[in-house]
Amino acid sequence: MDDTASLETLRADVRAWLAANAPHGWREAEQTHAEFAASQKAWFLKLVEGGFAIPHWPAEWPGGGRSLAEQKVIYEELARADTPRLLLSFVSTYHAASTFFECATPEQKAHYLPRILQGEIWCQGFSEPNAGSDLAALKTRAVREVRDGREVYVVSGQKIWSTMAQYADQCLLLVRTSSEGAKQAGITFLLMDMKSKGVDVRPINQIQGDQEYCEMFLDEVEVPVENRVGEEGKGWAVAQATLSSERGLTLMELAYRMRGAGGRIAELIRKAGKENDPGTLAEFGAIMTRVESACAIADRFIENRLKGEERVGDASIVKLTYSRVLQDFALLGLRLGGLDEQVRAPIVFGDLNTGNWMADYMNSYAWTIAGGSDEVQRNIIAERMLEMGREPKNWVL
Amino acid sequence: MIELSELQDAAQKAFPADTLAPARDASWQLIAEMGWLMIDLPEDLGGLGLGRDATTMLHVEMGRVLSRAPLATALITQRALALSETLADKAGWLERTSTGTFVTINYDRRRITLDGRTVSGTLPAVPDADMASHVLLCTDGLIALVPLDAASVTVRERPLWDETRRLFDVTLADHAIDPALVVAEGAAADAIAATLREDMLLGIAADAIGGAAAALDATVDYLKTRRQFDRPLALFQALKHRCADLKTRIVAADALLWARAADPAATSVQFGALKALACEVFRFTTQEMIQLHGGIGLTEEHSAHLFMKRAMLDFWLAGGADVLNEAAGRAALAA
Ligand SMILES: Cc1cc2nc3c(=O)[nH]c(=O)nc-3n(C[C@H](O)[C@H](O)[C@H](O)COP(=O)(O)OP(=O)(O)OC[C@H]3O[C@@H](n4cnc5c(N)ncnc54)[C@H](O)[C@@H]3O)c2cc1C
Repeated sequence: MDDTASLETLRADVRAWLAANAPHGWREAEQTHAEFAASQKAWFLKLVEGGFAIPHWPAEWPGGGRSLAEQKVIYEELARADTPRLLLSFVSTYHAASTFFECATPEQKAHYLPRILQGEIWCQGFSEPNAGSDLAALKTRAVREVRDGREVYVVSGQKIWSTMAQYADQCLLLVRTSSEGAKQAGITFLLMDMKSKGVDVRPINQIQGDQEYCEMFLDEVEVPVENRVGEEGKGWAVAQATLSSERGLTLMELAYRMRGAGGRIAELIRKAGKENDPGTLAEFGAIMTRVESACAIADRFIENRLKGEERVGDASIVKLTYSRVLQDFALLGLRLGGLDEQVRAPIVFGDLNTGNWMADYMNSYAWTIAGGSDEVQRNIIAERMLEMGREPKNWVL
Repeated sequence: MIELSELQDAAQKAFPADTLAPARDASWQLIAEMGWLMIDLPEDLGGLGLGRDATTMLHVEMGRVLSRAPLATALITQRALALSETLADKAGWLERTSTGTFVTINYDRRRITLDGRTVSGTLPAVPDADMASHVLLCTDGLIALVPLDAASVTVRERPLWDETRRLFDVTLADHAIDPALVVAEGAAADAIAATLREDMLLGIAADAIGGAAAALDATVDYLKTRRQFDRPLALFQALKHRCADLKTRIVAADALLWARAADPAATSVQFGALKALACEVFRFTTQEMIQLHGGIGLTEEHSAHLFMKRAMLDFWLAGGADVLNEAAGRAALAA
């Protein structure tokens, strides 16, 4: 266990480092999506240099080997200093990294992990137009062939919602290598170089004016067999490692950031001259209490993990609590902001709780839909935690 | 006498449900050709005199297709002109506005200062000022037409999240009201303004109900066709209940809409409360619409966001729910 004194020393170190290195005015500087990507990349490399980019990696990595309690301190300080969230490198340092740590060969680890710290960007190519909540229904085909004397998977199909794929160098790709048996059984996990021939990436225009994710068309893309993670047909298990890579810390950071953004609502209340309006104050109090409880449940989740006591469904409760508060937080901002909020204002790319309440509201859906939607979380809580049984698998109309 | 159902059929043929947010100017022309700009005008003034049932029906239908054309605004300003006892060339105005000349109005009455007949200030939230010849300036004790091409008038668009509507700031710099363009003054102006406000609230409520119904229809259709886990999503009872709740809220709000439209004694507080209810139902329906569509609902190419953004604007036009519900609460307390 970490003693309090060493955690406080760490806190002081991070705070001092941030005082010297945290970027200022980054929101204003990111006028285009390309500027956003450049500023994200620069901040990530700076954090690597400072030793605070990958606290969750094993100890042999510079800046790695931090306990969960230490990670928590680092995230708290990053949130407190209002630094940009690491959006561009998120999949690289969490999803890709944990896939490598848990499932990859020594050669794969040695090749890919150092490159992540040099700024190589990964995206996740799991979802497809017809495989969203039902990810196992994915259809992108991979056929093993020998081409130019090399054994390769020839991959064709379509992926969608791939976050930051337009900037990605590499892709965590789920493909179907067999249609026999259970849907999960024919899935294989590949690492695909985004510069390969036959990869066509098209950013998707989102409703708030961002282009956070992309469609990806794959036409006979050749992926060397050595780029497979795990055995052929065992990709589903590898994908579980990818998806469970970040457990709770992101939501803790986000909940803390929402707490920090409470001031934006206070600002609106003052601007509207409603400091003495009991109804408004009651609503403000209620939402901030829900924010506190989102922080508390994230904290407790992490404490339980520290003790090795995480239970099935706990992560779902943390996520569902956060997503519901996040959406209602933005809705309260909209209500207090009034007609003025309906005038289109510039957005902060990929950010939440920005005070552009319409954009914040639209962005809240990233958390109610992505990464297992609210409905899917409810299913997990009801079926696995409350043990209410699963809906029959064999329904047809 | 035209039956309401005939009017609805005609509206649905002219503005089919599968063409959302049709182009504004073409829609406007169609609206004029269909004679809808005469629908509200009393017969003795050359109109059809069909009243609030008919206009409500049209506004529901226009809401359903996310119409960009300012029909509700046009009918409101025309009603003011029809009620005027001072307007010079009133017959000419009614003739022009019932054949396509558009007069807009400020949906928000703040920020105007009046010095005798000289007006200064910015009229916020003026719809479609770019296609209007005049704005009907509506302020305490005075309603008057202001030509938008006057030197003392500047018009600036405020781009909205809602792509289906356009609002402008109209700024008046010591604009001297032309006596021939005074529509009403004093108590008469305030009485007309109250009527206009009722029409405004009813019109937005109808728009919201139409929009909510179309949003729910589209969502239910999607859930019936979208398959996950080897079945249509519509088969999940959790989602059925969400849709059933939306249906119930929409139908109940629709019932109140028609009850108020038919009630000559309905008060402006009641219209306001109706508007607040209908707009909250629309807003919430679009919130669910996006959620139930999953990722596709967050893309520009899908129409869900058009509904959502329109619902948000409807929510605020002519007053937000808090203010309107508070008035209803006070009225209920006094009853
Ligand atoms: C911002 C964002 C970023 C993303 N980034 C990535 C990425 O980097 N890589 C990637 O591969 N994917 C990514 N995704 C995709 C994401 O994982 C899917 O959107 C998600 O799994 C939902 O799938 P869907 O959009 O197809 O919705 P659907 O699965 O079609 O769901 C539609 C609706 O039905 C509900 N529903 C579905 N199944 C059930 C059920 N069994 N019971 C009750 N309700 C149900 C859903 O909750 C939803 O409300 C991202 C999505 C978003 C929004």
